[in-house]
Amino acid sequence: MVTAAPRTVRVGLAQLDSRLGDLAANLERHLAWIARAREAGVDLLLFPELSLTGYRLHHLAAQVALRPAEAPEIARLAAACKDLTAVVGLVEEHPHGGLCNSAVALAGGRIAGIHRKLQLPTYGLFQEARCFRAGDRLDLLPVAGTTAGLLICEELWHPGLARRLARGGADLIAVLSAGPGRLGAAPEPASQGDWELLTRATALVDTCWVLFCGRVGWEEGSFYPGGSHVVRPGGEIVSRAPWLEEHLLVADLDLGEVTRLRTRLPLLADERQGIEGP
Amino acid sequence: MLRREEIAARLTLDADLAVAVLTSFIVDTVAGAQARGVVLGLSGGIDSALAAALAVRALGGARVHAYYLPYRLSSPDSRRDAEAVARHLDLPLTSWEITAQIDAYFDAVDPEADSVRRGNKLARERMAILFDQAKKRDCLVLGTSNKTETLLGYSTVFGDHASSLNPLGDLWKRQVWQLSRHLGLPSSVIEKPPSADLRPGQTDEAELGVDYPTADEVLYLLFDRGLRPAEVVAYGYPAAAVERILALERASRFKRRLMLIARLSGSAINLDLELPRD
Repeated sequence: MVTAAPRTVRVGLAQLDSRLGDLAANLERHLAWIARAREAGVDLLLFPELSLTGYRLHHLAAQVALRPAEAPEIARLAAACKDLTAVVGLVEEHPHGGLCNSAVALAGGRIAGIHRKLQLPTYGLFQEARCFRAGDRLDLLPVAGTTAGLLICEELWHPGLARRLARGGADLIAVLSAGPGRLGAAPEPASQGDWELLTRATALVDTCWVLFCGRVGWEEGSFYPGGSHVVRPGGEIVSRAPWLEEHLLVADLDLGEVTRLRTRLPLLADERQGIEGP
Repeated sequence: MLRREEIAARLTLDADLAVAVLTSFIVDTVAGAQARGVVLGLSGGIDSALAAALAVRALGGARVHAYYLPYRLSSPDSRRDAEAVARHLDLPLTSWEITAQIDAYFDAVDPEADSVRRGNKLARERMAILFDQAKKRDCLVLGTSNKTETLLGYSTVFGDHASSLNPLGDLWKRQVWQLSRHLGLPSSVIEKPPSADLRPGQTDEAELGVDYPTADEVLYLLFDRGLRPAEVVAYGYPAAAVERILALERASRFKRRLMLIARLSGSAINLDLELPRD
């Protein structure tokens, strides 16, 4: 007997360039890309890390910080998100002071959730702990009949976080990134190899969909390579945006794949807690 | 530990991707500055030839303004090669001899000035002309210094070292050769020994006391891989060469961190106050 149609969710990855420190210009572009995604029937639209502000802000961070619940910019974005969920990156004024590198989910015309980056890279060319305070909790985001977990860039390099989201019920893990590019001998950016190792490994061991939304453009001589991609539960990359170009990557995720893989490969269910030792 | 023969392979780039990234850097920076194009000096050497080739790919020849600025002691080969590069790229080449102003200065103030001072003066005069032409044309000055010579301090501060944007600044010398061959630049430019041509018979490698392939590899091991000098010597590089490279790098750090400001406040420029330039 034929049962119900497969549960699917259509996702969009908005691989765009942001203008550093120019909230007004970035806001208009977000609204245009949300409209584009709506026309494409997208249920969940991701933007890159700090998409509304640009990444290498240093001391400009305070000038572009928003309180999401009060900011007219967020109200305009929320109003554009009545029939889809969009996740945008911004500098958030923390309710108790300080600034956070945050991802704000907008759905049903309102704020559906805020994730504050938990792991702030402060090494090499990264200076995040000098600008931001770290968040202190993980949350799940109900979206389009499924459950998503949001991670921001560096957080994927701390695999315990994705594990917790998956164990908590996330069918998909959405990563917002502003990872800078590097080159090597391969025809794709060397930085991409690291990211795809991480996204594919996460999709395999956490048995879920993984969405990686990167950005393009240049900031202070550092480029963002693009290469946003969607990884199937088990680790296969199903689609990838081009390098160095703005692109809206749209993909349909069959949520049944999560259920089927977790039956065949019950890693999450089998995970033991409370093991003694280091 | 890398094998010795792996080191050179690590310094090879995917040429197509590198050219795509570096041209996008030029496009983005010129657009961000709302400039009409770039000006650069064509010396007849490989670095300025590659920079010009990248700029023409990025902007089209009509937005790239090339200058050959010889002194009375400049090698005739330099003129021949600068003209060959301009012809190859279909660029008009403006040629102005700068002997009069250089000789007027030293004849008037210090006829005994040594060749290093005279070379520095030439490099700064050329850059002063390029910045003036850039102002006149509403353009940016395209830098042509590569990473190897910059780390070795083989440049004149505020002379050839100055620029508005530099697509070559993170390329090892061998990568300059690789990309120049890839773009089919004239073989006379690629094959001749690198020379600043500030004095007759001058070559970079004789003056530096180390050849570029060795310098590339030693600097890569020291600064990319984080090896200690003794570990680099253990790879088989001559201890004298490693010591020479270290000494040159140490002695030229002031050239890479310009604007030494006496900090008095909590908002000293570049120490406390980091405002992104984009």
